[in-house]
Amino acid sequence: MEEETEKKKESPIIQVRNLYKIYRVGETKVFALNGVDFSLQRGEFCAVVGPSGSGKSTLLNMMAGLEKPSKGEIIIAGTHIERMTEKELVTFRRENVGFIFQSYNLLKTMNAVENVALPLSFRGVPKKERLELARKYLKLVGLEKQMNHMANEMSGGQQQRVGIARALVVNPRIIFADEPTGNLDSRTTKDVLNLMRRIVRKRKQTLIMVTHDNYLAGFADKQIHIVDGKILKIEEQHHEDEEEL
Amino acid sequence: MRFLDLLVMSINNLRRRKLRTALTVLGVIVGTASIVVMMSLGIGMSEMQMELMESYGSMTAINVYCDTYSQPEGGQDPVYMTDEIIEQFRQMEYVDGVSPLLNVSVMMRQGQYTASYVNLVGVTEDYMEQIPVGEGRHPKMDGSEVELLFGNMVLQNFSNGKRGGSYYETGELPDVDLMGKPIFVIYDMDAYYQSMNGGTGTDGTAVKAPKKYLVPVAGIVEGGENDYNQYSWEVYTDLEALKTQLKKIFKKGVIPGQPTNKKGKPYPYFIYSNAVVYVDSIDHVKEVQTAISDMGFQASSNSEWMEQNKKQSQMTQMVLGGIGAVSLFVAAIGIANTMMMSIYERTKEIGVMKVLGCDMGNIRNMFLMESGFIGLMGGVIGLILSYSLSYLMNHLPAVTQMMMGMGGMDGSISRIPPWLAAAALVFAVVVGMVAGFFPAVKAMKLSALSAIRNE
Repeated sequence: MEEETEKKKESPIIQVRNLYKIYRVGETKVFALNGVDFSLQRGEFCAVVGPSGSGKSTLLNMMAGLEKPSKGEIIIAGTHIERMTEKELVTFRRENVGFIFQSYNLLKTMNAVENVALPLSFRGVPKKERLELARKYLKLVGLEKQMNHMANEMSGGQQQRVGIARALVVNPRIIFADEPTGNLDSRTTKDVLNLMRRIVRKRKQTLIMVTHDNYLAGFADKQIHIVDGKILKIEEQHHEDEEEL
Repeated sequence: MRFLDLLVMSINNLRRRKLRTALTVLGVIVGTASIVVMMSLGIGMSEMQMELMESYGSMTAINVYCDTYSQPEGGQDPVYMTDEIIEQFRQMEYVDGVSPLLNVSVMMRQGQYTASYVNLVGVTEDYMEQIPVGEGRHPKMDGSEVELLFGNMVLQNFSNGKRGGSYYETGELPDVDLMGKPIFVIYDMDAYYQSMNGGTGTDGTAVKAPKKYLVPVAGIVEGGENDYNQYSWEVYTDLEALKTQLKKIFKKGVIPGQPTNKKGKPYPYFIYSNAVVYVDSIDHVKEVQTAISDMGFQASSNSEWMEQNKKQSQMTQMVLGGIGAVSLFVAAIGIANTMMMSIYERTKEIGVMKVLGCDMGNIRNMFLMESGFIGLMGGVIGLILSYSLSYLMNHLPAVTQMMMGMGGMDGSISRIPPWLAAAALVFAVVVGMVAGFFPAVKAMKLSALSAIRNE
């Protein structure tokens, strides 16, 4: 039954079915996620929007394999994430996932190029090759001049660009971004979001962004509104490539 | 992740916190150096003891003794050590060589100087080659001719026949030139004294003075006139040549020192009271010794004494090493502490790495490498320190003097054999890694989520 419906369209890259996350606080149960269902296609830019405490970050973390769901299924590219061991999850992330953090999380001891090359080194890419790739992606995000700057020698926007380059360099199928512009001013925010959307669309990668800001969510093709662990509504809108260039 | 990348990352992490790394390494340096120096003292002492023991006789030699006088009563044949028995010894497992010792008391003369009751010992090549020669060479061993190898203290036996006055009275060495002038040997000392005193033989005729034989001297045992070693007091020669010579002189008569049967007649073969059996290694000495004892001979070796000594020096080494180990243990705690601190500092970094897909094993190995590297650096520098301390100890005049006071042992008191140096290095690295293991596992198990949340 399911397979038939999947075959009608292009099979979704991410399927979330009936997902629950329950925390126990003393005697009471807290439903961080309370039965969430949705699916995402390849190349989609999706924003998960909701007020703080709505469970949007929990959802993201579970999709990235950082947290185990209490119940339900997460199927990414045909594999069940929730059944994987921690070791398998690490491998899965290494091969398929890019991650952009709110607070950038660059390694302070490394310069921009080395930071971008770091995930490649986890894959065992030789040094010369990975530095070359890292430079290429830094150029892509517009940081030709800051290549050899240390993390703390750059502005927030620049650091986040390095973070984006680091997520993109492994050529992941899915990119997760947790409040990627949370620490940036509005102008930089717009730049960064446009940059992400442009690159992801060009490369047919799936981007999932968590934010509490409805305006920022407006950049996405699909908005999933979450309140109290439940999906309130899913909005889709199409942006023309040209308008944000 | 490639090994090299991992290594570079670990080293960079260490370089990031130079002072802390240096302090931790310092702990390992002190620990390693104290173990190595303590052990080197223990090894030096036990080796010096071994050297001392070796000067009393070889460690792998078994002395076999057969009392020719207290043989079993009654009709049965006495158990004597004959050539046949010697051959049996030679066939035993682990035995490298055997030499019977044929002892003959002889008189030696050169000019006015006479030495009586000189112990002339016939030995085989196995024995002869053990004797270090100071001057001249070993006697030839082909059985053709008796050549003498003088013990380095035998000279003290000679006394001036006319003036009297031996070395013991005058304290002066007699003017005997062993290598230069000929030495005469009188084998039949009994006959000599009887003829001197005008005694008569069994048949009543006056005893003729025995013949003197001119015997070439091949060499002198290594050592000065007062340097005692186990070869100092004997004169050695080839066993076969000595046997031939004795048979020629005494013909059917009783050779002095050889036992007789109940009728007072000599046996038609040579009987040895002593023999030395050489075993291939110290480990087999005991086994061979037991086998020889079972054959009815008394056997003794240095091995029992040595074993006891070995145990004792092992104890000493363990105690000394233990004292050193305490400080390395403290250093290990230091390493563990440093690594723990490092993990707390780098919690976020570890979390980010995990989220970005760094293998858990890689994270653990990175921390293990860091702690192992601390151990390695400490080990290397500690070894250098140990070598310099060891050199100082061996060359400070105060220490050398104290050593001379302690029973006149000389040589280095602190010895670092290559195995100790290698073991210390390996040990330092292993200690580092063991100390870093639990922190490393902790780092590996760190929840990526809580690590990146930790803002």
